[in-house]
Amino acid sequence: MFPHPQARVFAAGTADDLTAQALTDRIEHVAERLATLPPGPLFCGMRNDLVSVLRYLGAWHSGRPVALLDPELPGAVLADLARRFRPAALLGFANAPDGPLRRPADGPAPHPDLALLLATSGSTGDPKLVRLSRRAVLDNAAAIASALSIGPGVVSPTSLPMHYSYGLSVLNSHLIAGAAVVLTDDSLLQRSFWNDVDAYACTSLAAVPYQYTMLQRLRFDRANHPTLTTLTQAGGRLDEALVKEFAAQADRFYVMYGQTEATARIAVLPPDRLADKPGSVGVTVPGGRLSVEAGEVVYHGSNVMMGYAHTAADLALGDELGGVLRTGDLGELDSEGFLTITGRLRRIAKVFGIRVNLDDIERLLHDAEPAAATSGDDRVTVWTEGLAAADRAALARRLGAELRVHWSAFDVRSIDRLPLLSTGKIDYRALESLT
Amino acid sequence: MNHLDRLRAVFRMALNLPADADVDGLEYRAVPQWDSLAHMALIAAMEDEFSVMIDTDEMIDMASFAKAAELLEKHGIGATAL
Repeated sequence: MFPHPQARVFAAGTADDLTAQALTDRIEHVAERLATLPPGPLFCGMRNDLVSVLRYLGAWHSGRPVALLDPELPGAVLADLARRFRPAALLGFANAPDGPLRRPADGPAPHPDLALLLATSGSTGDPKLVRLSRRAVLDNAAAIASALSIGPGVVSPTSLPMHYSYGLSVLNSHLIAGAAVVLTDDSLLQRSFWNDVDAYACTSLAAVPYQYTMLQRLRFDRANHPTLTTLTQAGGRLDEALVKEFAAQADRFYVMYGQTEATARIAVLPPDRLADKPGSVGVTVPGGRLSVEAGEVVYHGSNVMMGYAHTAADLALGDELGGVLRTGDLGELDSEGFLTITGRLRRIAKVFGIRVNLDDIERLLHDAEPAAATSGDDRVTVWTEGLAAADRAALARRLGAELRVHWSAFDVRSIDRLPLLSTGKIDYRALESLT
Repeated sequence: MNHLDRLRAVFRMALNLPADADVDGLEYRAVPQWDSLAHMALIAAMEDEFSVMIDTDEMIDMASFAKAAELLEKHGIGATAL
């Protein structure tokens, strides 16, 4: 049953502590109101608050597909999404377009298995949605709960946005296992966040690499938050020194690997293997299987997406992948089935847990000046030809705004001439050697 | 340049704001430029500029420009200037 009868949702800073029956009642109430909307997917600006969670679960309960998106999406991006996907309603967005929505033409209804739509990146150059079935969401939530030993005693705050697959997986894995989630939109850098961690006796915290860097900077001390026994990490490679530092601060530290295309989680490293499998992202979650084909990591499991969607018509499509996901990551499996990620097939960088396509960045800058993009850990280096310092700062701001990623992810540099290969293409290796 | 002007310059640099931006009324997370990542950059830049060590409590209490100015005073910088 989803949510599990013992699942609890606490809205931090309010008296809204929804346990078992109260949560079910509220979900059913929202589902009834959503039933008055015309058919089609619901588009939700997903904040870490009770209204958003009830909308999501209400849509789930009523069998209506729901897209959980960044509530701060720029108006133009949201308008483009609405034009292409013809949602029944846009709820909870800061920059919702004016005027009534265009009604769906007499197109086919969304596929009955389709439950959830997520975006893969903040990029405007890559506005497709991932189609996830009801079964994929439930199976992955249950697999995560099993791999991380999540049960009724576990309490986690929402430390990540829930329109992001890792953040949503925290909610889903807790709801399915009868655990508790504390809804807060505060950041790890706010006293209120830590007050809530203590007030609700949180036991587990999920974070991506840049947040661990922050926690280190904050001189995070477990002794100040004695209830916090478990830390989890996904969203890109975490520096080994930080893994060691935080593993020493937690009873259990989980290094994990996943993709939105697999709902969220693909592999988890059991904490007791952290020491003898350094650099590994662990073994497949229960029910999944991993293989490496011509260097590429391939995942097999019921949590693999049905496929991508670019328009409303795609929402009617059935399962196109048959449970097999070519991840685009390069990796190695050892004899015990432990996976180590060694690189990317395509030109994709991961910054602050968000995927950014390097070719999209170059296309965005095409009108401005010659530019090339290369990547490192949590950093994209943008190479320009002779751009002044003030213009480079402005360029970082512009990229941050357009790609919905913090500007400090973009290290804009200037060189005299971009190095070229004999084919006339940009010599990325030469650029990478300069970083 | 007095310490407040230096603090304003640090804010503009760390938050990647234009050189003429008014920063005196800024509050953490009230503007998109001052998010958690920028906050870390800001703390580091303040430590460099004023040669101070900002501790954990100060870091999570520094929720506005005014609080940042107070924090400097607490560290004995420009105590008479406000």
